[in-house]
Amino acid sequence: MSATPTVPKRLPTDWKSDAMRKRIARRYAAERRFKLAGLLAVGLSAAFLAFLLFSMLGNGLRGFTRTEIAVQVDFPASPLLLDPNAITDQALANANLPMVTGAVVKKALGADAEEWVSPTAWTVLRDRIKADPRILGRIETIKLPASTAIDLAAKSQGSPDAEAAVNRLSKARLISTGFNWGFLTLSDGTDPTQVGIWGAFKGTLLTMLVTLALSFPVGVATAVYLEEYARKNWMTDVIEVSINNLAAVPSIIFGLLGLSIFLNVLHLPRSASLVGGMTLALMTMPVIVIAGRNAIKSVPPSIRDAALGVGASPVQVVFHHVLPLALPGILTGTIIGMARALGETAPLLMIGMRAFIATPPGGITDPATVLPVQIFLWSDEVSKGFVEKTSAAIIVLLVFLLAMNGLAIYLRNKFERRW
Amino acid sequence: MKHIALLAATTAAALTLAGCGQQSGGAAGGTRDQIRAVGSSTVYPFATAIAEMFVQGNPGMKSPIVESTGTGGGMKLFCAGVGAQHPDIADASRRMKKSEYEDCQKNGVKDIIEIQIGVDGLAFAESNKGPGFKLTPKIVYEALAANPYGKGPNKAQTWKDVDPSLPATAISVFGPPSTSGTRDSLAELILTKGCETDPAMGELKKKSEDEFKATCTRVREDGKYVDSGENDNLIVQKLAANPNALGVFGFSYLEENKDMLKDVSINGVEATYETVSTGTYPGARPLYIYVKKAHMTAIPGLQAYLNAFAANWGPDGALAKRGMVAAPEAVRKASAEAVKSLTVLDGSQLK
Repeated sequence: MSATPTVPKRLPTDWKSDAMRKRIARRYAAERRFKLAGLLAVGLSAAFLAFLLFSMLGNGLRGFTRTEIAVQVDFPASPLLLDPNAITDQALANANLPMVTGAVVKKALGADAEEWVSPTAWTVLRDRIKADPRILGRIETIKLPASTAIDLAAKSQGSPDAEAAVNRLSKARLISTGFNWGFLTLSDGTDPTQVGIWGAFKGTLLTMLVTLALSFPVGVATAVYLEEYARKNWMTDVIEVSINNLAAVPSIIFGLLGLSIFLNVLHLPRSASLVGGMTLALMTMPVIVIAGRNAIKSVPPSIRDAALGVGASPVQVVFHHVLPLALPGILTGTIIGMARALGETAPLLMIGMRAFIATPPGGITDPATVLPVQIFLWSDEVSKGFVEKTSAAIIVLLVFLLAMNGLAIYLRNKFERRW
Repeated sequence: MKHIALLAATTAAALTLAGCGQQSGGAAGGTRDQIRAVGSSTVYPFATAIAEMFVQGNPGMKSPIVESTGTGGGMKLFCAGVGAQHPDIADASRRMKKSEYEDCQKNGVKDIIEIQIGVDGLAFAESNKGPGFKLTPKIVYEALAANPYGKGPNKAQTWKDVDPSLPATAISVFGPPSTSGTRDSLAELILTKGCETDPAMGELKKKSEDEFKATCTRVREDGKYVDSGENDNLIVQKLAANPNALGVFGFSYLEENKDMLKDVSINGVEATYETVSTGTYPGARPLYIYVKKAHMTAIPGLQAYLNAFAANWGPDGALAKRGMVAAPEAVRKASAEAVKSLTVLDGSQLK
């Protein structure tokens, strides 16, 4: 037995002493600094987001409008040789409508007015004649889309010539700017006044459908197997590591894979949304597996035990209890994975979706393009009118993304259960 | 439970669809009812414009698909073989190379029709606020080469270092990347010409073609030449922001952005429509499309598509309105003849 060491008598902490006060002040200051740093980080990201949104909306909202010029078309007096009783597509194509439109516009608005309407304005005349051949016997005022120069000037940023033309037209009340429905219903084109997002939008929908159809069942099945059935050994570890690695592989690699396997070995059609969807499915699947495993893991074991206890088979436990309860988590993961696939361009360039496709795809094997690739293509166009169309297309893509993320939150809230 | 059943049903339906697609589209010997073109990003806007006119003039036909892959990438796809899964047309901003022609022959693409659709100017431009450069191929070469005349790394920092008549501003040139046809033209039309002003280079060419090529066309990589991707609009924006920089891109971009940019004369020749068309501007280059003769009957509308090109490549045609420069009349005549009688390209003419 040794003598107990003498413990020095401990004084109670003097909270009022200078040293202590200083320490407390320092702690509060550190707290405030941390809060401020967090606030700054949030502010910075919000500022970037706001900047992105403002610049997009500033440029892009104009892309949703178009300028039209009202032109009085005197069909009987025009140099148009068409029989109102025999209007066919071929007859209209042979009628030299572009020239006729130019002549009509010149007659109505003056010699230099031919440049004011869009080079594809004649398609408006064609559609009107097709819809009602009797128009050929009447004088009618038809609104024709303005050319890019006039369109930009009417939205106040044009060249002096175009500005003067717009002034003249607006004095005569012939010019109007309205919502450009064509932007939502037409497809890619070469004249910025007559392009639309529909073809790319439909291509995106088809591609996403293929991606979902392939990656969701495979992803969920993998997650269920790995969580519920797989024995814990080195094989499952290897699979787990591989899937986690796959989730972090740069997307362009998947594009190269798609090119060499789907196109060169399997000979699937180039530029088709089928191949695009398959390539993106490879990219999305690991995300779904990881999200799915976490969701399944978070289902309490008591539920499994209870189900087994009342005599359910393991398959019944999984499909009647575990999967429905894990579904909100799986769906959230799926939609986040899909949203990433939605914004992907790089892998799709490799499989030929960077193309001019003016006919909207009719099925998944038809050549198609997708929204991000369309944006990429338009950003490289020569004509200035495409600048605002590019921004407008970005807005459409952002709205699409917003809708998908909104759906993810809705699904999570609807199906979420607490234990 | 209901949700899962629904999901499973949708999935099954979609998978069946995918399966069908594989059968119909996957066959190597299948047919195709729309034209497919691949190739140069410079020809892309013209090929798409003609595609649009082709559809308007031939109602009921599907719109041709034009893919922008760059000339080299397009040639590779074009020469991969004959059949529905291979493209019908290759757009090119330079002539087909001998090696590419041989590749075509090897893969069974025997008869190729060569059609020159017009001319594109490789334009040098600066911002409207720029100092007004006057260049020659020699100056450009000495300013941009990685190893001028094989005498060691390029040390020129300012334009004055290259030529005393130029301002003492730092060399800064925005241009296309090495995968671009525009870059090939820069190397061939400007750099090689500048390089050849030195007689020693002529001897080098005789001695070793490869070494000559490396010396004359390799561009410096120390940041004086800024590779700006395939996006020519980006170069336009960069120039507008940097008055002392020079840009290299297609002539049509210069035309479209006259309010921000002005052209830079080379050998005293300004880049205008006339000088580019006649080839007096040193940066002018021909634009081609290559068509497989074997596809002419198999693909509906291919002849009509070529006819639409021929109808619109004149000086008043729709392509000129979009920034292409019409070829001289003799060339246009020869091309029109090629479209009409489908003259097959003689590979021995190629380099």
